[in-house]
Amino acid sequence: MNMIEFRDVTKTYEDKTVALKNVNLTIKKGEFVFLVGPSGSGKSTLIKLLIREIAATGGSIFVAGRNISNLKFSRVPQLRRNIGSVFQDFKLLPNKTVFENIAFALEVIGKPSYVIKVQVPQVLKLVGLEHKLVSYPHQLSAGEQQRVSIARAFVNRPPILLADEPTGNLDPVNSDGIMKLLSRINLIGTTVAMATHDRSIVNSMRRRVIELEEGEVIRDQKRGVYGI
Amino acid sequence: MIFRPKYFFGETFISLRRNFLMFFTAITTVAITLFIVGFFLIIIYDVQGVLTSVKSQVEVAVYLKDNITDELRTYLENEIKGWDEVSEVVYVSKDAALEKFKLENAGSEILKEIQGNPLPASFEVRLKSPEKVDQIALRFVTKDGTNVEGVDEVIYGQNYVQKIFSITAIAGSIAFLIIIILLLAAIVLIFNTIRLSIHARRKEIEVMKLVGATNWFVRIPFIFEGFFEGFVGSLISAVMLYFITNYLLIKGEKALADTMHVKDLAILGNTNVMLYIYAGIVIIGSLLGVLSSIFALKRYIRI
Repeated sequence: MNMIEFRDVTKTYEDKTVALKNVNLTIKKGEFVFLVGPSGSGKSTLIKLLIREIAATGGSIFVAGRNISNLKFSRVPQLRRNIGSVFQDFKLLPNKTVFENIAFALEVIGKPSYVIKVQVPQVLKLVGLEHKLVSYPHQLSAGEQQRVSIARAFVNRPPILLADEPTGNLDPVNSDGIMKLLSRINLIGTTVAMATHDRSIVNSMRRRVIELEEGEVIRDQKRGVYGI
Repeated sequence: MIFRPKYFFGETFISLRRNFLMFFTAITTVAITLFIVGFFLIIIYDVQGVLTSVKSQVEVAVYLKDNITDELRTYLENEIKGWDEVSEVVYVSKDAALEKFKLENAGSEILKEIQGNPLPASFEVRLKSPEKVDQIALRFVTKDGTNVEGVDEVIYGQNYVQKIFSITAIAGSIAFLIIIILLLAAIVLIFNTIRLSIHARRKEIEVMKLVGATNWFVRIPFIFEGFFEGFVGSLISAVMLYFITNYLLIKGEKALADTMHVKDLAILGNTNVMLYIYAGIVIIGSLLGVLSSIFALKRYIRI
């Protein structure tokens, strides 16, 4: 089953920069895919299109078989509940504790509090931070903060997890931990797509690599490496 | 969407605690701006009341000749009463005029010098629309410039009456303008403050949208907060206005009434109107809080 499918997708920004040019690609359920390429090659645009932060200029995008290209605004929240997103800058709320940050993600989609009380400690155990429930983000290391953000993205058990340079702010040891975590999440059956600049990570993982350059897919390789 | 009051009230009060400085700023802005608007509103209302009370005391005194016959006097009285603009006609006989004069000048030397009764009888004509005092006075003058038969003199304070009317008209439009400008200033200030407090929390909105919160779910806590800020702020200004009115302005009003030699004006003592003003301020404040939040959110909600 195709989890993500791009058919001839083009994205031109308002200032006329072409971010994606006729991109075609499919990602199957349960795959782990690296999106690589220099800055400005269109990796982030691709991720933003998937969570409908922006809309495509041309072509069609399918998520779990459903065309999201002309999704109504009112349907966007539903789409996002099925896609966990992780970012380089974590996007944690500084005035909420670790528990509250994750609980918040469940509260705003209407989960009752007895579910929250069970699910949050569970997902924190998965990321190895069950002892940091009441800490605030500024009391955590960068690696721990990224774990919290992954926990938040995954707490709702979405079928897809998108990560935009999740190790961009981390040292190699912490990066390694994050990759182990993402692999584990992928093993449970989650489709993971990760945009990255980190050559050593891509080379050591040996997963599918999609390389973008100036908005075009120039390489799509199973068990690939960062660059040839 | 399922309405979950526990979450929304909970969120509102948690953020009240954690964003105390922002709330404090917003509430004081609402309180101060609406206090200024309300204060001017009350002052203007009071001044208008004083002017209206002065205007309503405008009357035309029609002095009659001593030799007027009873028939002519009755005829004149009925004639004047028939005019649309007239609200009341009081006949003051020569004797009554003398009594009144004695009363007003009790203990004065002047009383000893009076012999017989030099005072004329008169009609005191009160008007429904004081602005027409000129036209009424002119009806006692015939085409050739003399007074109508039996009338000796018509007095209505020609000089100051017209001045009062033009001052009232100008003051009215200036007051309206001031209130509009102050209200606009209040709206802009309150909107900007609430926008800033929402801007400070744009990250929160971003995260909410990211994890799939619906727009209404994002909006409602902010709307609650806007309402809370507007309501508390305007309530504070209404309470301040209440104390200022009752312990300062009403005393000033009494002093003014004394110097103008009119009976107690009791304009601000009219609790009904004052209640409307206080309630109006609280309603406007709460509404401004809610609307500001809704408009300020527009920019951040479509991510």
